[in-house]
Amino acid sequence: MTLELLTTHYNYYAVVVLLGIGLYTIIESPNLVKKVIGMNVFQTGIFLFFITLAFRADAAPPVISDGAGPYVSPLPHVLILTAIVVGVSLTAVALALVVRVYAEYGTLDEETLEGLYHD
Amino acid sequence: MTLTLLEGAVLVFVVGCALGAALLKDTLAAVMAFAAYSLGVSVLWLILQAPDVGLTEAAVGAGIMTVLFLLALSNTSSPDVDRLLEPVRWRTVALVGGFALLIGVTVPALPAIGDPGSAVAGGEVTQYYLENAYAETEVRNAVTAVLAAYRGFDTLGEGVVVFAAVVVALSVLRREVVA
Repeated sequence: MTLELLTTHYNYYAVVVLLGIGLYTIIESPNLVKKVIGMNVFQTGIFLFFITLAFRADAAPPVISDGAGPYVSPLPHVLILTAIVVGVSLTAVALALVVRVYAEYGTLDEETLEGLYHD
Repeated sequence: MTLTLLEGAVLVFVVGCALGAALLKDTLAAVMAFAAYSLGVSVLWLILQAPDVGLTEAAVGAGIMTVLFLLALSNTSSPDVDRLLEPVRWRTVALVGGFALLIGVTVPALPAIGDPGSAVAGGEVTQYYLENAYAETEVRNAVTAVLAAYRGFDTLGEGVVVFAAVVVALSVLRREVVA
């Protein structure tokens, strides 16, 4: 039963694994740049969830042509396209803050920064 | 749909690269693992019949994102690499495992992958777009039609977000920070 679930829902389990890896990196990595990478991995996990929901077996990409079909759902693709661009904006702002933090304090290590903050 | 060998291999590659990005101590190595991860994910989008998303992911995720990370790295210094991987802290693994378990138990409630009768793939909204997109917008690519016509205001909002991000990044950095 569990094995059968794995063969029909494998992408969703990959989503769970990617969310876990992303969250672990955000919490555990001492380096601020790697925290941003973790955030992006987490994000991509959610993208995989949406694109998998849109998928339909034996269907074509949603480019309409006469007599062809069925097609996969276009709507989640649109949402994820928007989300990818927003994700890049988010990454750019986060990395700008990281570079600024380095310029001010000379380190990207979380624990050193925390020590500096309390001083 | 059953798992094909290709998709299985890509999934393993993607998860492996994510693990590499999470655990490699050297930040440059982690960024490279993340770039490979993005490329693997864009192949995954192609397999899932989402070529538009795959192209964007390859150009933006693997391309622009990597450049941004490399720019950030070149303006900071990497920590001393005394070991290849970071030590795994099991307390956090347990916490994240609990989180994953919590999401994992909801997975059986989802429709099987590729199920034509699922709420998204076979739903009313999807059918409306597929049947009317070409007649109403004269664009054959339904993704473009939804992006630019039906949900045009979303795309405008996206442009506002990008503009705001550029303004914030430039004002945070000021001129003297970037050498």
